[in-house]
Amino acid sequence: MEDYKFLFKVVLVGNAGVGKTCLVRRFTQGLFPPGQGATIGVDFMIKTVEVDGEKVKLQIWDTAGQERFRSITQSYYRSAHALILVYDISCQPTFDCLPDWLREIEEYASHKVLRILVGNKTDREDREIPRHIGEDFAQRHGMYFLETSAKEAENVERLFMEIAVELMEQAKCKELPKYDGSLGPINGKTTSVGDGSCCLRS
Amino acid sequence: MSFVKCCFESTEGHDFLDSLVQKCTDPGCCCGCCSALRPRYKRLVDNIFPASPQDGLVKSNMEKLTFYSLSSPEKLDRIGEYLFQKASRDIYRRRHGFVIIAMEAMDQLLVACHSQTLNLFVESFLKMVQKLLESTDPQLQILATQSFVRFANIEEDTPSYHRRYDFFVSKFSAMCHSNHNDKPTRENIRLAGIQGLQGVIRKTVSDDLVENIWEAQHMDKIVPSLLYNMQTAEKYETVSCMETDTRDGLDDDPPRLAEACLRELVGRASFGHIRSVLRPVLTHFDRHELWVPTEFAVHTFKIIMFSIQAQYSYSVVEALLQHLDAGVGTRVRAARAAVLSSIVAFAAGDSVGPSVLEIINNLLTNLRASVARDSEKESDEKLYQEALINALGEFADHLPDFQKIDIMMFIVSKIPNQRGKGTKADSMLQSILLKSLLKVGSTYRTTELSKAFPAAFLDALLRLSGAGEAATRALLQRILHTLLDRRGNAAALAAPTVDYAKLGLIVEKCSRPDLIFISKHGYAIFSSLYDGLQLESNTAENVCAIYTTLALLCVELASEETVCDMLQLILSMQQSALSNPVLSTAQACRVHGAALALLALVPHVLLLPALQEYVAQIIEARREEAPHLLPPLLEDYDLSPSKMPNKLPYLMIDQMALAECLKACGVEARLQPAAPYAGAALAQRHSWVEAGAAQGRDSLADISAGPNAELDSANSSPGVQRHCGGGESVSLEALRRAASGPSEAERREAERRRATLNDTFRTAPFDHLLLITQPKYEIKEKLEEIFNSLSEEPLLGVGVGGSPAGKPTPCTKYFPELFLY
Repeated sequence: MEDYKFLFKVVLVGNAGVGKTCLVRRFTQGLFPPGQGATIGVDFMIKTVEVDGEKVKLQIWDTAGQERFRSITQSYYRSAHALILVYDISCQPTFDCLPDWLREIEEYASHKVLRILVGNKTDREDREIPRHIGEDFAQRHGMYFLETSAKEAENVERLFMEIAVELMEQAKCKELPKYDGSLGPINGKTTSVGDGSCCLRS
Repeated sequence: MSFVKCCFESTEGHDFLDSLVQKCTDPGCCCGCCSALRPRYKRLVDNIFPASPQDGLVKSNMEKLTFYSLSSPEKLDRIGEYLFQKASRDIYRRRHGFVIIAMEAMDQLLVACHSQTLNLFVESFLKMVQKLLESTDPQLQILATQSFVRFANIEEDTPSYHRRYDFFVSKFSAMCHSNHNDKPTRENIRLAGIQGLQGVIRKTVSDDLVENIWEAQHMDKIVPSLLYNMQTAEKYETVSCMETDTRDGLDDDPPRLAEACLRELVGRASFGHIRSVLRPVLTHFDRHELWVPTEFAVHTFKIIMFSIQAQYSYSVVEALLQHLDAGVGTRVRAARAAVLSSIVAFAAGDSVGPSVLEIINNLLTNLRASVARDSEKESDEKLYQEALINALGEFADHLPDFQKIDIMMFIVSKIPNQRGKGTKADSMLQSILLKSLLKVGSTYRTTELSKAFPAAFLDALLRLSGAGEAATRALLQRILHTLLDRRGNAAALAAPTVDYAKLGLIVEKCSRPDLIFISKHGYAIFSSLYDGLQLESNTAENVCAIYTTLALLCVELASEETVCDMLQLILSMQQSALSNPVLSTAQACRVHGAALALLALVPHVLLLPALQEYVAQIIEARREEAPHLLPPLLEDYDLSPSKMPNKLPYLMIDQMALAECLKACGVEARLQPAAPYAGAALAQRHSWVEAGAAQGRDSLADISAGPNAELDSANSSPGVQRHCGGGESVSLEALRRAASGPSEAERREAERRRATLNDTFRTAPFDHLLLITQPKYEIKEKLEEIFNSLSEEPLLGVGVGGSPAGKPTPCTKYFPELFLY
């Protein structure tokens, strides 16, 4: 049963209330929780997907957006393979905070981490951030960009699948199976991507 | 069936068979013959599962499996892996009943098997635990945690170097923050999270070779998770370390368990790791704004102090000290300082040597920074300073006495010298440092005066007593009170009075060492106090304070040998009140009052009936005619000119009468015929010696000191040179005049001269200075003459009798140095 070939850690960050938890739950459980309360600390979900006939396990760490939990959430960036930076397209302040988030990511995450900018809540009528603005920003900072709606399940699947594909490609390029994760490979069949810079730092 | 089993037993290792049966491992879909083809361990494992999960683990079959794994431990790893595979499949199919059974079986195997091969089994075991933790079902997560905790309590004899706990730390920390909708479930998940963290800590902390739990990436998760759970407690009751161990296992609410876990973590931290625990604690408090109110912070830090290994406790204080200034908000700073003051006592007992001074220095630095900071909110800043001073006091309170003196000397050395141009901040810093000094001093229990006042310390204190603002001087006197007062008389003597019978003073015979002390330093102390009374800026509080100091000295050093000094000083006080033009009428009245109060005290502490009678007479007379010359001291005196003190000579203390009284009581009285005992002669002599002694240190500073030095303090060399070098005929008369203060014109002239002198010393080249100071050698001769004549005269009492003989020697000895410029 434990036959996944890759294990990737994905961390979601972004201001409080932009819909991080909803994205994760939409993807892992296929539902949209209407009255989702604020996450405290960190939440954890897992989902195994198939890419090119190979199973990829995604460990998704959903962090609290609230300022007061910042110190503990930061500690989760370090081991991440991909960071999803989420903002709310109907809320300008969440977009304005992006540079701050990037600074934090610079500081705490691995330099090679895959970064994806996500504008959530496309179902909302009152859009404040036009799509091209988000795209520009993402391009300037070397990030992938996607607009999603957790409510309408729009682009959510695609978001995580593309991350899985991208990470798998990276892992294959490196062709260096490394011990990472808590338990290491099983029967030599499972490989997870060890991040060089991450190992060097610790 | 059994026949077939026998046949295939030997083939169990074969790969082709393995792969064949792998296709069909699920017992539900497996036909009888298929199971017969499986290797034995797989059959044993399969058999422990009942047909329906409700029936629970098949006990007898479990025993068989245990026996098998004990007898052939090399199979253990395969058993583990197989169990894990089964369980993963069951999780996937959401058959939680079987998962629970599989976990139970693994637990039992883990406990049963203590062998080398356990290591490999543990791999599968941990994979299983992780798998369960990855599920979203709280029940499975809790189950997994329980298994993990059980595993953590097993002592492994061979450490596993490649095992990583990364995921467990992350996941357990996440569980600590569970936000499950159902409250009991949430509590349980959080509890499980904490237990899991505790397990990880236990597993990793003791062995340096396994994963380093102290690394920031782990501590940043563990510590905030624990704190987050602790802060939700309704009330914080801090107990000391011992009691928690007995409560272990009984903890059923997250805050208490988290607390126990934190204790364990801190208790196991070695010196290098303390910081990595403290940093996330401080950050957490900042982030969650937990400093104000301080209850939780105090609670947490006390826990840390209780559980930390005693020898490292000061590093907590250090860390907190360094963090004092971080971030913004005076209130937060004040709260941190309050926390500091509540924990600093713990550290004091175990701090030694440099770390003590380091902490003190750090506190003082923070105080200085606080003074320098122009805070928009004065009151908050004041709160902060108070808290810091409190911390200082707390800390000092728990140090041995000899260190307190060291600390006091250290603080004194940090007090800015006020003789220079004192800025407002300077004087504020001065008063703050004096407050700290007072705080430390009040924790000190004086036994011997000579120990409480090492020469350098006394020197510094006395030098300060003549400087600064009125309030500062009063503060300094209070420091003297706390240090002098050994018998708890200070409160009774807080204000001058003539009625001592009611006060219930405790008087004991003065000890020999104290007598030696006072004969050595009596000059310096008395003359400095006398000078203190001559200042223009004195308020009633100052006079009161000086009175208390003198009264305490009188009580503490009650002896016939000191009584003459005391009386002499009282006479000088009276004389100065009559003739010092600087003092206002009100000030003069206060000095009169204080002098009389002191005089009344003398016969109270010593058996001098004649004196007592005489004092009673004066008091009676003053009460009738001039109550303003009696204590209590008032802020304001409303007097008609006829009532001015100097118009009432018959109400004054008469020196001749005093001498008579003493003689009547059999005390050898050698009061100086001319009243000013401590006046000019003493002050100058004292200052010569002092200046000489201070030569190496700060006589340059003295010379360059600005013109704000008090006129009559005569403490700095230029001041003295003025008196002598001014071309006046140097005689006892002149000295007396100097004591009683020069006339207005003379003063102005002197002022100007001193200013030019200062100026010259500041600006002129050294050679020039040498040249202009050359002629003073003849003054030196004159002075020597004076001193010789002085020492021939019986001007001093018996108590200090040793000193006049001794004094000229140091005087002459120091002269060359003094006149080097």
